Formats: sequence, structure tokens, C-alpha cells
Amino acid sequence: MAAPDVLVERLNRGVRKRNARWTFVSEQAFGEALELRRFRLGNGLAVLTLVDRAAPTISYHTWFRVGSRDERPGKTGLAHLFEHLMFNETRSHALGEFDRLMERAGAEANAATWTDWTFFYENAPRGALPLLIELEADRMSNLVLRVPQVTSEKEVVANERKLRVEDDVEGKALELLYANAFRRHPYRWPTIGWMEDIRGFTVRDCRDFYRAHYAPNNATVVIAGDFDEKKALASMQEHYGGLSGTRLRPKKRVKEPSQRAERVVHFPAPTPTPKLLVGYPAPAFSHPDTAALVVANELLFGGRSSRLHRLLCVDREVALSVRGSISPFVDPGLYEMWFAIREGTKIQRVIALLDKELRRLESRGPAATELEKAINQLELSFLHTMETAGGKAEQVGFHETVVHDGAAVFKRLASYRQVTAEDVRRAVVKYLRPFRRTRVEITPKTP
Amino acid sequence: MKVFVESSDVLPLVDVEIALPVGSLRDPAGREGLAQLTGQLMRFGPRGLSRERFEERLAHLGARLSVEVSMRTTRIRATVLRRNLEPLLALLARMVWEPALRGRDFAKLKRQAQASLVARLDDDQTLGAICFREALFGTHPYSRPLSGHPESIARIGVDQVEDFYSRHVGHGAFFVGIAGDVIDAEARAMIASVFPAAGHRTSRSAEVPPTRARPGRHVVIVDKPERAQTQLFIGTLGARTRDRDLFPLIVSNTAFGGTFSSPLMQQVRAVRGWSYGAYSRLLHSTQRDAWYMWSAPAAEYSAECAALQLELLERWVERGITRAELGFAQRYLINSHCFDRDTPAKRLEAKLDIELLGIPRSYIEKHDELVAGVDRQRANDSTRARISTRDLIIVVVATANDVVASFEALPGVQSVEILPFDEV
Repeated sequence: MAAPDVLVERLNRGVRKRNARWTFVSEQAFGEALELRRFRLGNGLAVLTLVDRAAPTISYHTWFRVGSRDERPGKTGLAHLFEHLMFNETRSHALGEFDRLMERAGAEANAATWTDWTFFYENAPRGALPLLIELEADRMSNLVLRVPQVTSEKEVVANERKLRVEDDVEGKALELLYANAFRRHPYRWPTIGWMEDIRGFTVRDCRDFYRAHYAPNNATVVIAGDFDEKKALASMQEHYGGLSGTRLRPKKRVKEPSQRAERVVHFPAPTPTPKLLVGYPAPAFSHPDTAALVVANELLFGGRSSRLHRLLCVDREVALSVRGSISPFVDPGLYEMWFAIREGTKIQRVIALLDKELRRLESRGPAATELEKAINQLELSFLHTMETAGGKAEQVGFHETVVHDGAAVFKRLASYRQVTAEDVRRAVVKYLRPFRRTRVEITPKTP
Repeated sequence: MKVFVESSDVLPLVDVEIALPVGSLRDPAGREGLAQLTGQLMRFGPRGLSRERFEERLAHLGARLSVEVSMRTTRIRATVLRRNLEPLLALLARMVWEPALRGRDFAKLKRQAQASLVARLDDDQTLGAICFREALFGTHPYSRPLSGHPESIARIGVDQVEDFYSRHVGHGAFFVGIAGDVIDAEARAMIASVFPAAGHRTSRSAEVPPTRARPGRHVVIVDKPERAQTQLFIGTLGARTRDRDLFPLIVSNTAFGGTFSSPLMQQVRAVRGWSYGAYSRLLHSTQRDAWYMWSAPAAEYSAECAALQLELLERWVERGITRAELGFAQRYLINSHCFDRDTPAKRLEAKLDIELLGIPRSYIEKHDELVAGVDRQRANDSTRARISTRDLIIVVVATANDVVASFEALPGVQSVEILPFDEV
């Protein structure tokens, strides 16, 4: 591969439009064998390239720094609706053509929205890259938003909500957890949106949202896999170089008031067994304490030898499955714990056992071998995410969007290795206090 | 034992698979779930090592292990950090050939299996899928749920597990695969040093009679309270793995409902917004397996959606696919085929499928030629020959009172059965 500064100089020769001129930003190691390069177009589009010839495939990710936190009450779910609308008609391509062209090329195209971001991706055979660049650049600025598209997609999203929330016990529990754990922060509303808000979206809402957030200076493109970097950047120059940035409003920073008493939500549901969802306020993803909490989570919930699986599912046989995760958000989120409780067991019993185990971890901390086991498991999980071009692109895109460093995934693994037993103990003391948590208790509704 | 190695030094990670062609089709009648319980009890570890210590050792190696039982196979899959491959193989060898199969572990496992069957009632899509297979295959072994029923699980004792292990697993025809950061000779040497030095045994596949479609269109409503959304399965018999027209049928089905751009998805989702998704799947096995359409429409237009899907099905079978649809499906299948082999584990899986499932080698090695060789005539003839529009099973998971009248009114429906969801 050519040196990036030389490459940029060649690509910029004869290019007069400022928006279409490349700047080389940085280059850093991505593991032992790969290099992650960062470029920026004149219009603000950040592009990260990761050439990796392990398989004849490529992955093309476009991450927008817009998610449900950028909505407002009454208009919740707009970012997610937009994820759907982006697959519709553009000024250059008729309705359905985007998917037809992608699928004909053998590409899998999909998208995801959460609190802080929305991303669109294609995993494709290596030869498809020019098509991906053309279509992604096109929909970044040429989307057609009219009544038929918006009406149809609203119906699809309403049905998705019924499927994933209204008829899904876990989906409903998550919604209740965030709605009760947060009082001020936009993380309190669901990414899919409240049903009445979904029903109420207008074409104007969609156009305003598109203009405000979908622009090159609010996006990062990641290309990973088997591709020619020079050709890719030249093609991007051609297709994205004509686009202009938008005037981005600064993100609102809302500080959630500290929780001082436990909150409990009871929810009877048509389900055969009780469930418990617990949320403890957790630090932002970029916070140094996150590493210790991730390790604590591995000790508590990571696989069949973990403390809570063994205690609740094997020894006491009070739960069928348990799991925990820390929300990877820009602002402080939640440490979620889910317990699928066995028929006939009281939820209070599970809570008592959870509290006892947390106190045990808090008082003694993990043994060195237990800590080593957790780190090995985290290393395995990390390697799994790196198996495909798509996995690598997603890690780069996520870390670039949330912590402004695409290669930070390797730093995270290193940070887990540095966590000590005392760090874990301190994290449990600091974050896993019963009075700070919110519980959603689901009980079987009697007919 | 046959050994397959797929080397790749991209990541310091290795996948190991120990597989054998034994699955739930070996379950004796009335003891459905036996093969799966046997696999799960093996997963508790070898003699001389408690379940807890076995789990500790695995986790400490940076390994993950699963035992997956299907109708025709048992696959023991592990992933491990490269530096710990050798001790993992030694542990796996003990687990597979010296399993503890302890009575006290089995008692816990049985309670866990019963609890899982209760928890499964939360999952509407799974309930619909199980009910669909039961309604489609009737008393044929293909109708058996892998996890069994509460009654069948209750009848199984640890002695039956030991017997199943000894007859079908312990002396079975094993295939071992290793994929990842290890070279061929090294992998084979490691296996030779820890696995039993038995020659490769052959194992006859469980023989099952041909499947037969129930004549007519029959509706089963899985009645569950408070359903805003329904799960809808409509289908009939599909194909045999060795059918000569399997590839024409794969191409035709892909054109009809195998992609986002296909008419089924477009009409149900894009045009009407009725369901988050809609697709059709063609399954194949030694006897004709299932072909079905799936969607998840809201209760208020579930029957309308079923009627639309029936109309699309009839149009597909009667008129066939167009030349443009054929070309599109072929390009999609050929171009996306690279994702069936973009990791060493996937490449290994394809090799093992040939051995375990009797998939002709040409299906893997000449996939693109076989797809490209399908012409429109063959695609449409195979669709007409295989996919019945008369003999159909329609399963809907819904609140029965909300939908029963509209499903009774669907064209050609001969019977409507209402099944309480907790009896699936």
C-alpha cells in the first residue's frame, strides 16, 4: 500500500472543490498485522480504512452520530424510523432498487439504531465496493421523503414494536427499566419510540431530521476487508465529494440526578414464569471504571462457571438463565441484570441471593485464578468479534463514534488485563448498591 | 475417526468440532428428547471431574463449549485461545469418551429441561415453529421436537441416557474438525495423542419412512392471551437433499421469498407494512422436509396477510418465476456464497456437512455451477412438482377469539383446530 500522505497528495491533484479534497489524519496499528488509517474529506466525512485480505469480502459501515437521545418527547422513535426510511427511494434510485442492487451483488445490507448512534452496513463480495460507495453516498443526501414511504414505514415500525415490545416480555421489561431508572436523560425513552409518537410522525418531521443529522460531517465511514485503498478513496471522492456538511447543533448534555432510593416496578404479564430485570447506574463507556465493571460482570455472569450462574441456575435451581451487561453509552447508562426465574420461585429469593453474592464479591474480591479466568474469557469474546471483516468494521465504527478512537478496542482488552481484584471490589462497592438500583419484577398474570 | 483441518493464522483462535451422525431421530417413541439430554449430560464433564471443576477448567482455558443436537447430528463445538488448544483437546477427549453421566447431575438436568419447556411458552415464534412441524408431519419422526415434551422427559431415566450413549455415541462414527490457528500436521498430531486410537467406524443414518402431506388446507390456531402480533407459518412438504431438482427449487424459492427484494417480502412488508418481515424457507433432508412462509402480522390483519400469502403462493406455483427473477436469484446466490466460507470455522462446517448429512460434495464444490445451470423451465417445473397449493398447513399463534372467524374464511380451508399455547 502506498504511504497515506503520498496517496492523498495524488488523489488531490487537480481537485478544486474543497469538499472533495482528502486530508490524511493518522495511522495506527490495529492488532499485530493490520493498520487502521484515518482520512477526512473536505466536507467533514471521516473515513477509516482497514485493509485485511483474510477473505475475499468487504464490509462497509456508515455510522451517524445520531440516536434516540437526539429526539425530544412527543417525537421519540424518529432516529429508528429513519433507519428504515433510508432503504427507500432516492432521487437517483426508485423504491426497492437499493435492496435489489445490493442483493444482486451478493451484499447483505442492514442497519441498527440505539441511543447514541445509527449505523448502516453492507457485507459484500470484494468486487461490490464501487456499488456500495455509490449507493451510500446517494442516500446520504438524496433521500426522497413523501407521504407513501413514511406511512408504510410507520406501519412496519408499529408492527416491529408490537413484535419486540408489546408481545415480548423481555422487551417490555427493558422499556420499563429505562423509563423508571432515568428521570431526565433522553435514555429514558425507548429507541423504537412510544407507539403514539410512531403513529404521529409527519413527512415534515422526517425531512427536518434528515437535514439536521444526515450529512457527511456527522458520519464516519469504515471500510474493512479485501479492497484497494486508493481506488476506494478515489471513488469516495467522486461520490461524496459533491456533498456539503450540515450545521450541527451541539449535543445537549443532560445530567441524570443521582438515585437515592431503590425503585421497584411490578408488571403482571401473560408469561408462565417470573422474571427480574435489575438496573444499576453505570458509568459512561469511556469512563475508566467501566473496565473493572466489565470484569466484575464476567465474574458474575460469564458462562457456566460464573458465580451467579452457578449459584442460581445450578446449586439453588431458582433460575433458568441469568445474564448481565453494561450499556455501552456515551453518557452514564445502566448495568443490566436479567434473571429468568423458575416456576414457583419467589422473586424476593433471587434478589436476596443476588445481594448476598454481591456482598461476598465486595468483601473478599475475586481470587487471582478467578480473575485470570475472566480475562481469558474476555479475550476470547474479543477475538470472536474480530473473525470477519464485518466484525472488525463494527468494532472500529462503534469505538470511533463512542470514544473517538477506532482502534480503542485493543486498548479495552489491555485495560481488562490491568484490572486487579481490588479494582473489582471497589467497582462493586461504588456501583452495585441496592438503594441506587431499579428493579422490574414480572409476575405471571393469572387468567 | 476422520479428521479435517482448516488452517488460518489470522487470529490466535481455534475452533474444534467433534461430530457424529446421531440425533433426535434415534429417540425412541415416547422418549422424545433423549438424544438431547444425552448430549447435555455429556456436557457436564468426564468421570473423575465434578461438573463445577470441569466448567472451571474450560473457562480458565479461555474456551467455550456447546453440545448441539439436531434431528440427524450431535455436534460438540468448542472455541479456544490458541495457546490452550492442547489441554482443551485432552479435556474434550475425556468428556466424549469417558463421560461421567452421573445420576445426581441427571436429576438436575431433567428439572432444568422441564423448566426450559415451561420457559419456551414465552417464545411465540418457537411455539409456532414446533406446532407447524407437528401439524405438517403428523406421526412421522420429523415432527418430534428436539427437546421433547414434559411427559416424554419425565419418562427418561439416567439408565436410558447411559444406554443411548453406549449404543449410539461412545461407539459412534466420529468426525473431528479443527479450524483456525494450527497447521494440519500439528493438529493431527495433537488429536492422535489425546483421542482414542480407534479406526473410523461407519454409522448408518437413522432410517425414516417417506413423509406424506396431509390432504387439504388445515389451520391450527395456537391460542395465547393478549397477542397484539401474530406468528404465521404457512407451508407444505419441501425437498430431499438428493432430489435432482433441489437446486432449481432453491433458486425458485430464493426468487419467491428468499431475499428482501423478493415478491413475498415486498408485498407483505414494503407495499403494505403488514409485517416486520416475510420470507420463505426450503428445508431438505433424507426425506422431504418442510417448505414454509413466515410472517408476523398484527392480529387485526393476520388473516388478510395469510390470504395474500396464499395468493402469492398460487401465483408463484402456477405462473412460475420470470426470467428477470431467475437471473436475480442466481446472481444473489452466487455472489453471496463467499459468506459461506469467509471464516475457517465455516469452511470446516461445509466439510463436516458432507460427511454428516450426506450432502453431495458437488453441492459445496460446484455450488456456483449448479446455481448458474438452472434454467427457467426447470425452476418452474420443480416448483410445480414439489410445492403443493392444495395441501397446506397454516399455523397462527394468536388470541384465538380475535382471529378464528377470519381464518375459517380463508379459501379452501377444511379444518380449524384451536390449541392452547401451554399444550404445544
